[in-house]
Amino acid sequence: MNINRIITTTLLTAAAVLGMSAMPLLDSLKVDIRAGYEVGGTLPTHLDNKIRHINNFDPGLNYTLGVEATLPLKGRWFLHSGLRYELGSMDVDSRVKNYDIEVVRGDESLDGIFNGNVRIRSAQRRFTLPVQAGFAPSDKVALRGGLFVGLLTHKRFWGWAYDGYLREGSPVGPKIEMGSEPGERGDFDFGGDMRRWQWGVDAGLDWQFHHRWGLFAELTYSLNGLFRSNFHSVQPLHPMYGSLGISYRIK
Amino acid sequence: MMTVTNTSCFGSEPDGCEADIETATLHVDNPGEFFFQLTDSLQAVFSTDSIITFAVRGDADVHELAPTFTLSPGATVTPASGSVHDFSQGPVTYTVTSQDGHWQRRYRVLVVPTLITVADTLFYNFEHYELDPVFNRYYIWYNTLPDGSLGNDWATANDGYRISMGSATAMDYPTTPLLNGYEGAGVCLTTRDTGPFGRMANKRLAAGNMYLGTFDMKIAMSDHLHATRFGIPFTSRPDSFTGYYTFEPGATVQDFYGNPIAGRTDSASIYAVFYRNHDAAGNEVVLYGDNVLSSDLLVAVADLGYVAPTQQWTQWNVKFEYREEVDEQLLANRGYSMAIVFSSSTSGGSFTGAIGSRLCIDKVRLICSHNE
Repeated sequence: MNINRIITTTLLTAAAVLGMSAMPLLDSLKVDIRAGYEVGGTLPTHLDNKIRHINNFDPGLNYTLGVEATLPLKGRWFLHSGLRYELGSMDVDSRVKNYDIEVVRGDESLDGIFNGNVRIRSAQRRFTLPVQAGFAPSDKVALRGGLFVGLLTHKRFWGWAYDGYLREGSPVGPKIEMGSEPGERGDFDFGGDMRRWQWGVDAGLDWQFHHRWGLFAELTYSLNGLFRSNFHSVQPLHPMYGSLGISYRIK
Repeated sequence: MMTVTNTSCFGSEPDGCEADIETATLHVDNPGEFFFQLTDSLQAVFSTDSIITFAVRGDADVHELAPTFTLSPGATVTPASGSVHDFSQGPVTYTVTSQDGHWQRRYRVLVVPTLITVADTLFYNFEHYELDPVFNRYYIWYNTLPDGSLGNDWATANDGYRISMGSATAMDYPTTPLLNGYEGAGVCLTTRDTGPFGRMANKRLAAGNMYLGTFDMKIAMSDHLHATRFGIPFTSRPDSFTGYYTFEPGATVQDFYGNPIAGRTDSASIYAVFYRNHDAAGNEVVLYGDNVLSSDLLVAVADLGYVAPTQQWTQWNVKFEYREEVDEQLLANRGYSMAIVFSSSTSGGSFTGAIGSRLCIDKVRLICSHNE
């Protein structure tokens, strides 16, 4: 299934779920306003042994706001959708060995094998539309799972290679030392290479502890990756957002 | 902000993939009779070098020598470090293999008995140039030595410019050949824009430069002022420094941040310095952009000073101003170095100058005298 078809299917399903709210089923539809803290990071598909040490990992602490609707189906099953606004950021600093790296600015680039430290920072804002099926084992607890599409309205990805050296082109190429100060280190900025559309899987857990108030936990993982498929300057990274928050039932 | 500090690492450490000789040492029983300077027995090898040359006294016996090497971590070398070879038949080739076995580099090691030549005049005509053999991106120059062979005494920072402007063509580099110089080919030094990398790094321009010495690519980015290593051993007593130049300053002088400086005209540099190449503690010394005109080790300086803008080939002839006597014994033991330095923007080291400033030079002479 290609990406466009998944996005189209997801959007149509979501539209259907939302559209149903205007129909007689409306009576049984539940609508929540949700707000939560969000940790938004990006994970490599695998952590290889070229990353020797995580000096520091700051997944960022942001917020998410949303309006979400639940449509009961037969028995304990339901459909769930909505619209969320999410902020994500990340700041990771690691020590690497034999690490393939490409430093790019404008039309100029410098690539090779890096030994030293790499700081990577990212920041994203996105609108997310989840479409989930759910099961409620009790009146108070619900489990949800499905897909989401996200549209990024702000995307940044930047960082620098520092306190180390690059072997330009290959391990036997010229050795270029990089210091720690701007101008001495190897800066990169790949924000322009990030995808605007993300899609992936989305799982959630709700606890309705009060007839209006509830708590929720949500985890999304983007399957199509942070960067466009023709981008190879850093290894594939997948955005992962986790959030914890509170919900208020308006209907 | 939540901050997690993790001390684990992922899998076992990967094997090294580098295959360098980092230093080369030649131990002999009688170093004072073998080397001109005791420090000549140890050489730090640039990552861009694949030829290692020990210049030794003309009467040194080079039939049975056992150079030793330090290598990239985990790398191995064949023939072995410390094995005995005959260097009288030319270079000995060593092959270094990386720890992971995937990469190799070949080095040629030469031990060259060197006769001290006391020349009356050293000629630098800039007729011998070619694209650099590694990248074929920029020009390098060879000079004609007194015995007629070619030496690579001239260095430029062109290789450093390549880091910031990999897309530049050879004639867009700061230092380029000039087909029609004063006589035959000359050389042109042009202050260039360093592009998007340069702007990001607050290194917005690169002055064209050319000097007697070496360029240490490794620190071009982290410590640019010390990448230009001014000076080569020099065994004659210099009297005067002559040559021909044209100089056209670029339109607008800009500061470190790229802001125009109104009312200022760019200036060029043309000078030669003669200095003792070991300090009081016996350590080998080269001079850098930040001390080439101020070091305590300077013995004589020939500085044109103000380089008047001119589109016509103009001769300069500057006498070396001596600050101390020349020690003949030290001179014969390669204890002095000479650095001729040309730059199209005097303040290029602090990234101040006018893009487009152009200094062309040709037919450079160092006129030397004998102390009877």
